[in-house]
Parts: sequence; structure tokens; C-alpha cells
Amino acid sequence: MTGRILAIALNTFREAIRNRILYLLLVFAVALILCAQTLSLLTVGSEEKIIKDFGLATIDLFGVLTAVLMGIGLVSREIERRTVYVLLAKPIHRAEFVLGKYAGLVLTLLVNTAIMALCFVLLLLAKGIFDPGILLAIALLFLQFLLITAIAVLFSCLSNPIVSCILTLALYAVGHLLWSFDLLRARLAAPWARALCAGLQRLLPDLAPFDVKGQVVHGIPLPPGTVAYAFVYLALYGGAVLALACAAFQRKEMQ
Amino acid sequence: MAVLTLEGVAKSYRTHLSLRKYWILKDLSFEVHPGEIFGFIGTNGAGKTTTIKLVLGLLFPDAGRIRLCGDDPSRPEARRRVGFLPENPYFHDYLTGWEFLDFHARLHGFRQPERRRRVGELLERVGLKNRADRALRLYSKGMLQRIGLAQALLHDPDVVILDEPMSGLDPIGRRDVRDLILELKRRGRTVFFSTHILSDTETICDRVGMLVRGRLAAIGSVEDLVRGDVGSWEVTLAWPGPGSPPVGEVLSRRDDRILLRIGSQADLHRLVGSLNGGGARLVAVTPARRSLEDLLVQEVRGSADAAGERRP
Amino acid sequence: MSRKGRTGRGRFLLAAALLLALSVGFEKEFGAAGRGSGAAPLLYLPSGRYLKVASLGYDELLADVLYLWSIQYYSNYDIGDRYVYLEHIYKDVITELDPRYLDPYLIGAMIMSAEAQDPEMALRLLDKGIAKNPDQWILPFEAGFLCYQTLRDYPRSSRYFEQAAAVPGVPPIVQRFKAEMTRRAGDIRASLGEWAGIYDAATDDYVRTIAWKHVHDLRVQVDLEDLTAAIAAYRDRFGRAPAGLAQLRTAGLLAEIPRDPEGRDYVYEPQSGRPSYGGVSILGR
Repeated sequence: MTGRILAIALNTFREAIRNRILYLLLVFAVALILCAQTLSLLTVGSEEKIIKDFGLATIDLFGVLTAVLMGIGLVSREIERRTVYVLLAKPIHRAEFVLGKYAGLVLTLLVNTAIMALCFVLLLLAKGIFDPGILLAIALLFLQFLLITAIAVLFSCLSNPIVSCILTLALYAVGHLLWSFDLLRARLAAPWARALCAGLQRLLPDLAPFDVKGQVVHGIPLPPGTVAYAFVYLALYGGAVLALACAAFQRKEMQ
Repeated sequence: MAVLTLEGVAKSYRTHLSLRKYWILKDLSFEVHPGEIFGFIGTNGAGKTTTIKLVLGLLFPDAGRIRLCGDDPSRPEARRRVGFLPENPYFHDYLTGWEFLDFHARLHGFRQPERRRRVGELLERVGLKNRADRALRLYSKGMLQRIGLAQALLHDPDVVILDEPMSGLDPIGRRDVRDLILELKRRGRTVFFSTHILSDTETICDRVGMLVRGRLAAIGSVEDLVRGDVGSWEVTLAWPGPGSPPVGEVLSRRDDRILLRIGSQADLHRLVGSLNGGGARLVAVTPARRSLEDLLVQEVRGSADAAGERRP
Repeated sequence: MSRKGRTGRGRFLLAAALLLALSVGFEKEFGAAGRGSGAAPLLYLPSGRYLKVASLGYDELLADVLYLWSIQYYSNYDIGDRYVYLEHIYKDVITELDPRYLDPYLIGAMIMSAEAQDPEMALRLLDKGIAKNPDQWILPFEAGFLCYQTLRDYPRSSRYFEQAAAVPGVPPIVQRFKAEMTRRAGDIRASLGEWAGIYDAATDDYVRTIAWKHVHDLRVQVDLEDLTAAIAAYRDRFGRAPAGLAQLRTAGLLAEIPRDPEGRDYVYEPQSGRPSYGGVSILGR
């Protein structure tokens, strides 16, 4: 089984690196990271903070964009182009197809993130402001990309790319705003409303554990178990999302 | 044991906005026996591709039961010994021919060096060995069809399912496909293919299923379907005078030659009888064996009448 | 390429170049009117608490960008009335988005005190910074300095320097500032104690020398103060000044008569009843 998933993953990776959008995004990201240097000249005070904030934010943003743009078409494009027929006629489980596509995109994101990280680290080393915490921040950002990709793949199994894009980006935004649910809950009077609010807060994807950019740049030590928590949350929530995707795809009609 | 069984299969679809159901297949039942070449014919839009997709687990029936190699088609085991070539093959066109076949071989679980051997063998067999390094995007229709066949035969399947395998091919290509199908039969494989080009089926199929508007209008061997009564005759008369002969449908008229179609033995006798002493002469009588095409047209017309509409 | 094709495309290119030139010229001529108001919308930013919602996890970056903008904005002397939203921008927006970003507190406070002439505003900003960053000594230090230099409010300054001095890892100069502020605030005894502590803890001669100078002069001041108070008490009791300092001891007003740092007795004039120091004040006070 893993052999088939791997075959599909490698094929997906091969398709991704032959896709020009990927290069466009990557080039932009690298250019922006290098721009951080220029931008930092404008500041009065710490250059280091500007460069680090900018670089990490660029990696974050472009990683998310790549995850979303490539994820939403992962399954729906195959169905739309009918390339999926001959694949599903093979003796494979439908779930293997979904997981294989996901794994391929994960591989693509890994390469992408590594390239962006390399450029950024080189810049930091050149300016003598490198800090190993930066790598930790990037690693957690990568875990975030994996979660967002899973969500994008789920929507890809359910509907067309435009709807998938909107919904995935919406969940990304909500994932960063879950802290505001606490504020909202405090203002709600009815207990059922509070319960609903609390329930939603638990069910929606929480992207805050993956965001340690601020702490790393300020040099604040991370609480122990930060990485472990993010990892386990990704495994559980992401796993649930992928399971949903497999379920959706299992009975999808290939018109 | 039958290689493929359909029992009471029905399939409908509804468009996004409307609530009305359109039935593509209604109560479809038939079997395909091992080692036979089964032709699945019908007009465009009759539901042939839908049937094939149902058989392969790409679609799920609204009602009825399907067994492929003894198993439910949605289970991978059912498809293990099956090779499939879709109509208008859509493949990942950024792959080269070799990469494409290698990928599919992996999906079957073949490892090196077995994989390399098989891919090379199939490329050779479909005559694409020299173009294996080109991206599929650059392949012609015929080449795509051939690489598609290669993909379907990689694992030496017992059952080969082809959807419109001859469509879009030139006569040479069609003959190649025909020869391939015959060769598969010679090696004991089962071939199930759909087509709307009926002349091919008459020559190679053991049995034929005719799908008209979602129902199986006829099934059986070609001989069984068009056997027996010579359907009609084409009679050429020399008819010097005006008017028309008393019997028969005038197909064409030129100078003093009339071409008639006579629909039954009785009419033929009547015609011949009426010619005596009139100056008209029988020039030629040609029995026209009813072909599958005739049968199809007849069934389609019949079905249209039954549904209360006329097909163009 | 056919001849026809070439001229066809050229026509469009020419039109494009022409229109572009016109648009550039137009913008140059008439576009200036719109400029300057470009920065204005940024002044009306909602509080950082609400901006956080829009920033979607890029809070620190947004703080950086707004800070960069603010520097450019506030260094543009052409804009009159530009300090209207000064506090809002630094205190309610930028530092809300990233409370641990130190530059806005420091530079903001500088702009507020030096340019907008509002040291209290600067201190409010710095107070916020101190509350959010208790581990940074620079913020209370700057506040203390502000109180000392601009407000000349030495007790307040001293309190700030005390806060600064309490932060672990604070550079020793802060201690010295604190000690000096204590003196200026009027509490010479405490100041003496602090300087003595600095002297004892000094690890290099430079610091030790400075500390000794202060200790010396403060010692004199404290002693003279003690003597003056004792003489006044004597006067109250006996109606006249003592004949000599030793009588202060015998009268029980002082446990013992202090000597100056050089070990000599303090000079005493019975007629005026005033003690004084026989030596020279090192720091010239």
C-alpha cells in the first residue's frame, strides 16, 4: 500500500515542480526576503527585528499561499481533467489516491520551505544576527503548512477550486483569530450561545500553536512542550481532516 | 463463472439546479463470459460510458448489483486483473511516455527490474519505443491511444475493458486495435469494449449487447441477432412506363431503372407475379441481410416511438 | 513576420508609449494635490487591540511596518500639526500590536518629549513599556533620565532609577545614576548608603574612585547635618551654642563626635555656632 501511495506522491511532486506557479511564488518569496535587508535601513533602532520579522512573515505567507493554491486543485483538477479515471481503475483504494496526493504536496512544501529558509538563514548569517530559534520558528510554520494543506485537500475533494480557495483561506483567517472567541464568549449572555461559541472554538483549526515568530524574534524562551504540542495537534486534527477527505472521496462519483 | 455481471442496474443523475432526475440506465442486466469478446454498442449518449464507469467503480449504481471478477467493483481486488482504456484518454501530459508507464507499473506493485522489463516490452508492443522520451503532451491522438493500451496491458490482465477504442483512429490504427483484441482472445483473455462503429463489432465480437436509451435492447451473438430472415431485398426493375410498381419502397429512379426495397418474402412474390406481361423486367434481386446497424436503427426508432418522440 | 503584422503591432506600441508619457505628465502636474493625504488615513487606525484581528498572526510585522512609517512621518517637518495623534499611534497602536518591541517606546518617548514638548505623554508611554517589559532596564532608565533632565523631578527620577536598578543584569552605571538622583532628591543619607554600597561592590578602580569621591563629600554633608542638628538641639536646651563640639557628647546629644574623612576634627566656631569642614569638597559642592 505504501508503495502505491509513494508512487502517487512522487508523481504529484513531479507535477508540482513542473508547474510554473510554484517557481513564481518561490522567486517572489526569495526576493522579498532579500528586500528585508533594504527595508531595515529605514528604521531608527533595531535593524535585526525588522529583518527577522519580515523574513519570517514572508516564509509564512508564501508557504500558506503555496499550500492553498496547490492544494485546492490537487484532487479537483484531476477529476476535471479526467486523468483520474485511469488511475482509479487500477487496484488501489481511493484513500491511497488522496493520501498520495497529500504526501506529494507535503514533499513539495518541504523543498519550498527549505529553499526559502536557506535564503533567509544565509541573509541572517551574513548580517551576523542568526539565532537557532529562527529554525524552530520555521519548522513550526512548516507544520502549519501541513495542516492548511490537509484542509485544502479536503475541500478539493468536495468542490471546485474557487470555492475551495475561499473556504480554505477563510479557515486560515479564523484559525488565527480563535483568541477572539474568548472575548466573544465573555460578551454573550445566553448559556447555549456560550456553549456554541466554545464548541466552535474547539472544532475550528487552531493555528496559534504554530506561530512562534514573535517569541523567537524577541528572544523569549519557548515554554517546554511547544513543539510537541504542535506536532500532536497536527497529527490529530490534520489526521481527522484527511480522514474526512478520504471519506468524501470514497463515494465521489466520477462523472 | 462470469467475468462481469450486471443485475438490474440503474443510474440517474440530476443537474445541480434542478431536482429532476435523468435516468441514464434503467434495469440493465447482462453477463460477460470468460474468454469472449463482448461488444457493447449503442448510439452516442445511450449510456455506454456510464455502464463502463459503473463496472469499474468510478460511479455507483442507484440500484442493482455489479460483480467484476466476482467482487464489488469498488474494492481494489476486483480490479486487480482488469485493464482499462478510457475514451479520449486523458493522461498526465507533463509525463514522458516512459515515466507514464513506469508510474502505472508502480501502481500495480511491480518492482525493478521487473518494472523496467514490462515497460520496455509494452512500449515495443505498441510501437512507441522511440517516442518514449517525449512528453505525452506532444503525442498525437493515435499515439495516446497506443500508450493507453500499453498502460492497460502492463499487468497482463485477464479482462480488458476498452471504451471506444477505435474512435478517432485512422483505418490503420483501427486495424491494429482489432488485431490486438483478437490476439488477446487467442491468449484466453476476455475483452469488453464499447463502440458506436458497428462494422468492427460484426467481424470480431463473439457476443454483442445493444444499449438503447439506457436499456438493453438486444443481446446475443451476431448471428443470433441478425439471423434468419433475410430482412429485405433490393430489387432492380426495368420499368418503362410511368407510375410505380405495386409493391415495395422506391429507393431510387433513373432512366427506366427503378430500385426498390421489398420488405418481405410475400411482397417479393407479389411483385414478381405482377410483372408478368407488363413490359417491366426484373433486372436484379439482391437479398440484403439485416445488419447490426439496421437492428440498431430499428430499435432506436422503436424506442423513440415508445417514448413518444422522434429522434432526428 | 509579415510586413502588415509588424506595422500593426508598432501602432499599438506607439499608442502605449504616448499614453504612458501623458499619464506620467498628468500625474506630475495635477497629482501633487492628492499627496500628503496619503499618510492621513494611517492616523485614524483603530486601536492595536482591534488591528490584531486584521493582522491574522502578522502582528509583529504590522508593528514594524507602522513603526517605520511613523519614523518617516514624524521626521517630516513640513507636516504641521503632526503630533495630534502621536500618543495614539505609539501607545495605542504600535505597542499594542507588539508590546515587546522596544524601539517604539524609546523613540516615541523621545519624539514626545523633545519634539512635541510633552514629557508627561512620554512618561505614560514609558510606563506602559515598563509594565509590559519588566525585564528591560532601559525603559525605566530612560524615564528616570527624562524626569531628571527635563522635569527636574528628582524624587520621581530616583524612583525610576530604583526600578531600573532592580532589573538583573543592569549595567552598574544605572546604580550610580540612582545614587545621584537620591542625593538630588534630597535624601543624602540614603544616597550616602548607596554610594557606599557601590564602593564596596566595585570591581574596578574607575568605579571605586568615583564612588569614593561621592562617599567623601556625602560623608561630610551628613556629618555636618548631624552636627548642625545637634547644635540646634543644644541651643534649645541650654539657650546658647556649645563652647566646643565635645560638649555635644557630654550633653548626650551625640553618641560620638564624627571626624571628617581625613580623620581630622570638624572646624567649629563657637560665636556663630556653625560647624564646617576643614578640607575641600572633591566634587565642588
